[in-house]
Amino acid sequence: MNRICQIIIVGCLPLILCAPAGAQHVGPYAGAFVGGSSLADARGSDDKGDVRLTFDPGFAGSAVLGWDFEAGNPVGEGRVELEYTRRSNPLKKVEFVEGSRAGGGSVTADSLLLNAFGVFHDSGRWAPYVGGGLGAARVEATDMKASGQPFVSGSAIVFAYQLGIGVDVALTEHLNLDLGYRFFGSIAPNFTEVGGRKLAVDYFSHNVVLGLRVGF
Amino acid sequence: MINLLVSGVLILMVVSGCGWNGNPTRNDYVTPLTAIKIAAASSNLAVNTTTTLTATGNFSGLFARDVTSQVVWSSTSPDVAAFMTSASPNRVTGIKAGTAILVATVGSVSSTYTLTVRSDSVTSITISPTTSSLPKGLTLQYSATGHFSDNTTQDLTADATWASSALAVATVGNAAGNKGFVTAVTAGDTNITATFGVVTATQPLTVTVPVLQSIAVLPANPSRLTLSTVPFTATGTYSDASTVDLTSQVAWNSSNTAVASFSSATATTATQGTTTISAALSGITGSTTLKATGGNLASITVNPYVVTLVKDTVSRITATGTFSDGSIRDITGVVSWSPADTSIATVLMPGGNLAWLQALVAGQTVISASSGSVTPATVTLTVTAPSVSSIAIVPTTLDLTVGTGSRFVVTGYFSDGTSQDVTASCDWSSDNLAAATVSKTGSTIGRVSGVAASPAQVTISAKYGGLTATAQVTVNARTLKDLAISGSTAVNAGNQIKFTATATYSDSSTVDVTESTLWAIDSPNVAILADIQNQLGQVVAVDKGTATLTASFNGIVKTATITVN
Repeated sequence: MNRICQIIIVGCLPLILCAPAGAQHVGPYAGAFVGGSSLADARGSDDKGDVRLTFDPGFAGSAVLGWDFEAGNPVGEGRVELEYTRRSNPLKKVEFVEGSRAGGGSVTADSLLLNAFGVFHDSGRWAPYVGGGLGAARVEATDMKASGQPFVSGSAIVFAYQLGIGVDVALTEHLNLDLGYRFFGSIAPNFTEVGGRKLAVDYFSHNVVLGLRVGF
Repeated sequence: MINLLVSGVLILMVVSGCGWNGNPTRNDYVTPLTAIKIAAASSNLAVNTTTTLTATGNFSGLFARDVTSQVVWSSTSPDVAAFMTSASPNRVTGIKAGTAILVATVGSVSSTYTLTVRSDSVTSITISPTTSSLPKGLTLQYSATGHFSDNTTQDLTADATWASSALAVATVGNAAGNKGFVTAVTAGDTNITATFGVVTATQPLTVTVPVLQSIAVLPANPSRLTLSTVPFTATGTYSDASTVDLTSQVAWNSSNTAVASFSSATATTATQGTTTISAALSGITGSTTLKATGGNLASITVNPYVVTLVKDTVSRITATGTFSDGSIRDITGVVSWSPADTSIATVLMPGGNLAWLQALVAGQTVISASSGSVTPATVTLTVTAPSVSSIAIVPTTLDLTVGTGSRFVVTGYFSDGTSQDVTASCDWSSDNLAAATVSKTGSTIGRVSGVAASPAQVTISAKYGGLTATAQVTVNARTLKDLAISGSTAVNAGNQIKFTATATYSDSSTVDVTESTLWAIDSPNVAILADIQNQLGQVVAVDKGTATLTASFNGIVKTATITVN
């Protein structure tokens, strides 16, 4: 069973013990999330052609500051938040015309997004939500290698976005457990190859996160 | 809750396709080169001859790649063998008898190759191939093989001096990279020589007339309705790049004669389907694919199917085909019209979808309209011979706008009490051609056209049977404001549709100018004009796609997009 599945299962266990909360929180909140990040196979393009980069799953960690809207709000039930997330994925292999080479190093994305989520409250304990966010990310290629040789390096700040679905579990009036899926993407950042060429690399990741949000 | 589930599913569907699944196109530039393997055309050379070396790189045992262009070549004994040709860095020259170690270096990786230079002399040279003729425009690569005093042979193509005795007939390359490459320039004779030292070989060469290289068949990949004719052309390209129209010289063939068959260079489509059209001459063939659309003819109807005509008059007849795909279109010009008694009547076919039934003598006969194996349709014709009592023209007065037209109808009244439209049998005239003209022939016979504004009325006369009927036409100039096209723009293949063009003038009057408009269509594989002379504004759908119909009238151009399903 892979690491991400283990994380999801462990994170969901406390939900079994939780009792449904009473009133819904309205107002500011802060939260923290941890989870797994799976970076999709990426195309790296320079003026000589395309390579495929395959990454191993990695960890993701987030911090959020937001505002819960009250039920019946004309904007709609939900919340808006500012989210900082750091994702890091090791490079597993690089595939050229001649075949695959073992990879090395990693790619790390630090993103700052403004999210908006619509929350669907009912009388039950679960409150599912769906939404998305827009913002920017600094994507860095750290010591990336192929065949044990320096491959690409550098960083770029690019436009980023995400789509998310998940479920809130109100543990208390001010404390929420949040289990969610995030699809995160960005404009392809340009890194620098060892020979000086620019390599544009796709960045799309699937993330499962578990977190706590505390209302004030 | 349902909304969330739907949203979630949509998100997952969208993102599940993310991740690149293409094929890499970039060569590996990261894996280090670890070894080089050198190969040569020959490991020993005669003095003053050359050979080329190639270098294949081994990249950490993972793959191999030619690195010849990256190699720095050197010789440990440049007095024995040296790299002397800057234009060809991997070509080594034997200087004097002995052994030299040749070195290939890429970065920090090197490899060596042992070359022996011998002192044997050339005794003769052989040029190959022994081709003695070459059509104008074509090329040929000769090679020169040296025969040495030690009974060995060596390729001397790159080392010999090449020449042509008649450069106007053929040229031969003598520079690094093109030695021995002959180009035939014009018909005639020349000698190609290869000289090494004092030894020369000669190859006579005759340049002949250019030969046919390819045939282009046009139109390319046409779609045409069944029961239509498709004229093809064949253009031949020769070895000297000249082109010739070979339409009448090639042998035309349709691979599926049930779909289309040839008469000279014109194919006639019969049933729906595709066939390969080929044009062959002198062993060269060009081809294209013809697609016949619009279904197979299922039945024929004629209009009228019962008619009575006065002797020496004509009446228009039409044939409409219903096809296996349900489409319906005019096939007047395609069917074979056959009167049973040609002394009583005949059918005149001026062209397009126009057919006139001409009554000759009193009597009765049947005219059949047939096509292939479909049951013919028939017209029962009775020809009478009464005398004409009077004729009447309608309308008797007409207000005509310059640039537009209108039709008159003349009815004849006969001694047997019958009447008949004799418009097409009249002799028409205008007393002021500068103001208005009247058509005397074709499907527009009896149609008056306004040429220029006239303060005086124009008299249009129709003469029949010694009688004359007249109408008065006033031609006025009006300011054209707009033009509108109307008609169904979505149609199934094989069907015929009518478009009309309506002009609007500054006085708010409108005139149907369909027959005065210039019609055009841009995609004959999608739709065509039915008959540009006799069925103005009518379009026949050919095959799936879109086509633009253009109507031009007095400087205003309007278009309509026709979609064929």
